[in-house]
Amino acid sequence: MSLPLENTVGYRVICDWLASQQRQPFLFQQKTWQHIINGESGLVNAPTGCGKTYSIFLGALIQFINQHPEEYKNIKNSGLQLLWVTPLRALAKDIARAMEEVVSALDMKWGIGIRNGDTDTAERARQKRQIPEVLIITPESLHLLLAQKGYAELFSSLKIIAIDEWHELLGSKRGVQVELAISRIVGTRHTNHDSTLMIWGISATIGNLEEAKDVLINPLVKKGVIVKADMKKAVEVESIFPDEIEKYPWAGHLGIKLIDKVIPIILQSKTTLIFINTRGMSETWYQKILDACPDLAGVIALHHGSVDMELRNWVEENLHNGKLKVVICTASLDLGVDFRPVETVIQVGSPKGVARFLQRAGRSGHSFDATSKIYFLPTHSLELMEVAALKKAISEKIIESRVPMLLCYDVLIQYLSTLAISDGFSPDKIFEEIIATHCYKEMTKEEWERIIYFISSGGNALQQYDDYKKLEWEDELFKIKNRRIAMRHRMNIGTIVSESMLKVKFISGGYVGVIEEYFISRLQPGDVFTLAGRILEFVTIKDMTALVKKSSSKKSIVPSWQGGRMPLSANLGFMLRKTLNTVKSEMSIIKQKNRKANASISPVSHFMFHELEALFPLFELQQQVSHVPKENELLIEQIETKDGFHLFVYPFEGRLVHEAMAAILAYRISRITSITFSFAMNDYGFELLSDQPIPVDDSNVYELFSLENLMNDIQRSINSTEMAKRKFRNVAVIGGLIFQGFPGEQKKARHLQNSASLLFNVLSEYEPDNLLLRQSYSEVLEQQMEESRLMDMLWRIQNSKIIITFPQQLTPFCFPIKVDSLREDLSSEKLEDRIRKMLPQ
Amino acid sequence: MFWEEEKALIVADLHFGKTGHFRKSGIAIPQTVYKEDLQRLIHQIQHFQPEKIIIAGDLFHSTENKELEMFQKWRKDFSLLKIHLIKGNHDILSDDWYQNAGIEVHQQGWIVQDFCFCHDLIDSSLMTHHSSLYSFSGHIHPAIHLNGMSKQSLRFPCFYFAKKYAVLPAFSRFTGTHLIKPEKGEIVFAIAAEKIIQVT
Repeated sequence: MSLPLENTVGYRVICDWLASQQRQPFLFQQKTWQHIINGESGLVNAPTGCGKTYSIFLGALIQFINQHPEEYKNIKNSGLQLLWVTPLRALAKDIARAMEEVVSALDMKWGIGIRNGDTDTAERARQKRQIPEVLIITPESLHLLLAQKGYAELFSSLKIIAIDEWHELLGSKRGVQVELAISRIVGTRHTNHDSTLMIWGISATIGNLEEAKDVLINPLVKKGVIVKADMKKAVEVESIFPDEIEKYPWAGHLGIKLIDKVIPIILQSKTTLIFINTRGMSETWYQKILDACPDLAGVIALHHGSVDMELRNWVEENLHNGKLKVVICTASLDLGVDFRPVETVIQVGSPKGVARFLQRAGRSGHSFDATSKIYFLPTHSLELMEVAALKKAISEKIIESRVPMLLCYDVLIQYLSTLAISDGFSPDKIFEEIIATHCYKEMTKEEWERIIYFISSGGNALQQYDDYKKLEWEDELFKIKNRRIAMRHRMNIGTIVSESMLKVKFISGGYVGVIEEYFISRLQPGDVFTLAGRILEFVTIKDMTALVKKSSSKKSIVPSWQGGRMPLSANLGFMLRKTLNTVKSEMSIIKQKNRKANASISPVSHFMFHELEALFPLFELQQQVSHVPKENELLIEQIETKDGFHLFVYPFEGRLVHEAMAAILAYRISRITSITFSFAMNDYGFELLSDQPIPVDDSNVYELFSLENLMNDIQRSINSTEMAKRKFRNVAVIGGLIFQGFPGEQKKARHLQNSASLLFNVLSEYEPDNLLLRQSYSEVLEQQMEESRLMDMLWRIQNSKIIITFPQQLTPFCFPIKVDSLREDLSSEKLEDRIRKMLPQ
Repeated sequence: MFWEEEKALIVADLHFGKTGHFRKSGIAIPQTVYKEDLQRLIHQIQHFQPEKIIIAGDLFHSTENKELEMFQKWRKDFSLLKIHLIKGNHDILSDDWYQNAGIEVHQQGWIVQDFCFCHDLIDSSLMTHHSSLYSFSGHIHPAIHLNGMSKQSLRFPCFYFAKKYAVLPAFSRFTGTHLIKPEKGEIVFAIAAEKIIQVT
């Protein structure tokens, strides 16, 4: 029934054009085109920069040409043919440019439009009058489209919905937004019994490609296909070693000590990207590199989420055309745009996961056959161990999965309000559509009714004294008719919730970037800080804008941004524990050899990785004062310092699991005796700290890590509350409980401002079964605590040997945790008693 | 806070009608908060049997809404009680409204014996004119931060008594707080769960 691709007109037209460019189609592109003309849906698995855009876009053109072989060049205004969803605004321009080139070379009359937050109103109006054939859009703007009256008409001619960089969206609430939008578009077509709509995702390699495909095309009730671009890239990883590992800091540094080794690398290669984990650190690195090598001024740039958009665009533009020599960036440059001139990538600090590391490595050597080279620069010595684990994971192809989110009430509430401000929605029809998505397929009718009740009545109320109004019932549809509420909702569509940010401007005019309110509120006028690579003196805050002037001060504070600290992935944790195994066995071999050789000769190692060899002195010290645990061992250290009594535990499971485990352990200990803990954690382990001795020994330790009553203990350890509180801000903003205010208009809405933690306390006390509150808790369980990972860990611990040591000094393992400043509390003492202890005696 | 001599209950920052204001805008805050704030006030009135209430500003959160009808109904049940309101930045209802509700409004501040009541210390010109008076104010919703051994820390709303003035905690549970840093010799009472504890 399907036509062989090679025999079609469209294929010949496209191949002729490619040939005129001295190019020919890749196999995976041809496969995708064939599926498209067959009307299939599915997923294309291809790395950035090897023609993935063409695999879908040219397929859409081929299909169109095949349908109109004679007059394809002349047909205008065919209506929307291809909806291109991309996670990043910055990508839209590049993609549009590439598409326009093809269209004009083929002399076709297709229009290519961009729709996102940057699209001006004139352009929007034009698109409304005549929708272009291709619309490149972000998930947020797509939802805004659904908030327009008569949106269904737009999609009536649509042939393909393409989701670019699906691996980035999957596993986030933006992915859920995409799922919902697809369900609605499919729904508008179902009424006409139309089955010509295709859905295509494009994704980099992740552990669960099959699931990624299913999540996308679920509403179509089809099986779908996966097309893999078989282009394996070689990756070479090289660590930057400190000269003397003994003198390299154990913790709390940014890797700056190794700056002298970085400069030659920068100077040698054409363009270098330096990936840094946090925005604060990237600011510092920028300054230090400039100090160390002033010649770079003018060809060095900084790129992170708080740098002004215009400046970021400028950086991207100049990376593109090779004018910059080095760019310091954060995850903000993880996505998208391929920067061909980039030859070298340096990763500073742990990349936390295999997939992320590979993606960053892939930023260099952007042609198909070039080897990607990535340097790794450790911020503390133990991180070298991570490189060894990463290398192992890469060679064994252990890549993380992106787990799609389930039952996000907040996104659903936002979506329903969106539909209510355009054409209204019929609850029965929308319910059918929603349970056809992956995210909400487990939702019960009862939960659905609770959601509808929540948005139509507003939860607990004092009947006659209430004027809550949001959804109204009219003509069998739920609608939002209040114009102010509708306008406020439109402003709030989206699932990316930032901390409350202030703009930073020069007094003399000129915009620098944004900064967290939390940080600026602690500054005094005259204090000097760095932002976007500039040294600024804080003057005052006016109308939600921080006014600054230039400063020549040498000392400055680097802002701390509270946003995203990624935890170590489960895969990497697993590899780390295995790595320690290697370390241990090598250590014993060396010991034996030394004994034979009468110890005076320095050890000859067979370490598979230089990184481990370099760390050898550190491991030796660890073994000497405490112990180096093997894969089947759990190390616990009890140390007393002037701060109090410390208990360190090292499961190597990533900071989130550690945070949960620390809370559970603290809770279980606090049932033995009345005690207060504060705790800290990093990706390797966690610490409990108390002002009294901690009663953990061989007699009770297995019990303390028992799987029994786990769920109960999680819920009782107050930390789940603390963690839920942090999640709640996002949930509440997305669900419309917290209004972020109109940009530049904050003042008018001041009486509607509210802090998330206050709202959390109020709801916990007065409406504990609130939907959004419950969602925060389940998010904590599923994502933050990674419940299943926690259980796996406890099971593993039960089956391994627990080793408790009592070192007389801080050990190399515990040091990075101890200096970590993120701390939490847990107490079984009475509040009064705690206060009394805190007061001066 | 109760002033025995004057038989006056002194409170600040009740923010009545705040939940209603949010709800009217389609933001679903449970109204039980408001109900319980009101009940707590009634409870205190029944306990102390005051002749008057002095409110150091922010009795109401915003413009009129149905929750204020509930307040008016309650007001009728306590018609003998005098209510003195020192206008706060949130008190933006019309003068007629206050008059109808039997609330005596003081614009800048109000002096009773040796004490001055105002809303925001910094804005109050009365305070500079009568620098010999001891002032009571609200507005900032004070809270205190306590640090302990082994890096523990806690935060509580509080009563704050400085040398020349005192700041009352916000009466409403639906308000944020602002940390104060008391100096030596100043007295702070923390509100910890159900107890009031002197911490400095």
